[in-house]
Amino acid sequence: MAMTDAALDAAHEGLRAAGIDFVSGLPDGWQRPLHERVELDPDIRYVPVCNEGVGFSICAGAWLGGKKPALIMENSGLRVASEYIARISLGTGVPVTLLCSYRGDVGETEHWGIPHGIVAEPLLDALRIKYLIVRHVEDLAKSIVRAKRISEAQLHPAAVLVSGDCVWED
Amino acid sequence: MALDRYEWLGRLANRLPEDCLVMSTYIGAVSFEWAHHTEEHHRTAHLGQMGDVIGMAVGLALALPHRRIVCLDGDGSVLMELGQLVAMGEQQPDNLVVFVVDNGVYESIGWSSQGRRPTATAGRVDLAAIAAGCGVPYTVDVTAEDELDAEIELAFSRNVCSFINVRTRPGHSHVRPRRTDGIEDKYRFVRYVERLEGIWITGVPPQDIALMKDRKG
Repeated sequence: MAMTDAALDAAHEGLRAAGIDFVSGLPDGWQRPLHERVELDPDIRYVPVCNEGVGFSICAGAWLGGKKPALIMENSGLRVASEYIARISLGTGVPVTLLCSYRGDVGETEHWGIPHGIVAEPLLDALRIKYLIVRHVEDLAKSIVRAKRISEAQLHPAAVLVSGDCVWED
Repeated sequence: MALDRYEWLGRLANRLPEDCLVMSTYIGAVSFEWAHHTEEHHRTAHLGQMGDVIGMAVGLALALPHRRIVCLDGDGSVLMELGQLVAMGEQQPDNLVVFVVDNGVYESIGWSSQGRRPTATAGRVDLAAIAAGCGVPYTVDVTAEDELDAEIELAFSRNVCSFINVRTRPGHSHVRPRRTDGIEDKYRFVRYVERLEGIWITGVPPQDIALMKDRKG
């Protein structure tokens, strides 16, 4: 199971329209095609990592050097990255756009995804990260643009959680 | 024979290339002593914390590949997130030189009659060997002053992604703590980078200012 072709196109379009030129991330089952697409985009520097916390740190450093970064990951990666989001962004105010698979959302088929869904939104609230849940493909590109826009305005991350019709064709 | 931190940080500060940028720790002895030696020059981002200093330096180095980036970290911080070394070894930014103050203890938490709390480098762990295993092209474990001088000269005379672990004696110089917080540190570093690079990082971009003028007219 991976994101649909239409969602893949919309996510890529949203990143480009938002002016994202630097992406770090750890691929998951749903957004794997987006990592593959971004890696081939000549306008985006793609930095794969083995740990979402490191990915966040790298994005923060890239922003300090003038890049417009996004971190692409499963929502389980939010838990891993939360320590660095708290230290860097709550402490100093650095914007990074977060694009997360929303495993454990209503419709989930896998038992292991349930804890990811339980933790994601309370964790984003705890980290004062505003977020949009996108369950319709037609909302995906503009949601990424809007998340990036407020992240720059508030100098703090903003997130898009991807789910629903973006991944399931039921 | 381990080196004295305050002394070797001073020697590094004196040899620092004028046009480089530095990613340093945010609080603690390394940050305070570095700020003392460099008179709080705005080329240093005192923004890194436990486990993210090298990661932020890698991001900065990739964002500004034409600019020399120097990173100052401590052994406790590197140990907290070894995945940073994986990213450094994978990306190998040739403009990045990392110096680690490896004193084998958690210095900044204080100590009791039992002594300082050791880090894993006081035992069997060798950070330079780990960095080499992660693919960092040049790694070295420095234990003497003349070795450090040679490594500093080598690092700044070429473009090779380098990890220089400096075995350092525990101990405080008792320079005064820095007064600024992360918000102020961020803005002064970002404004310095904006001027240095001629780029726009925060605030209203120039094209939007032009748009506002058009609307008024």
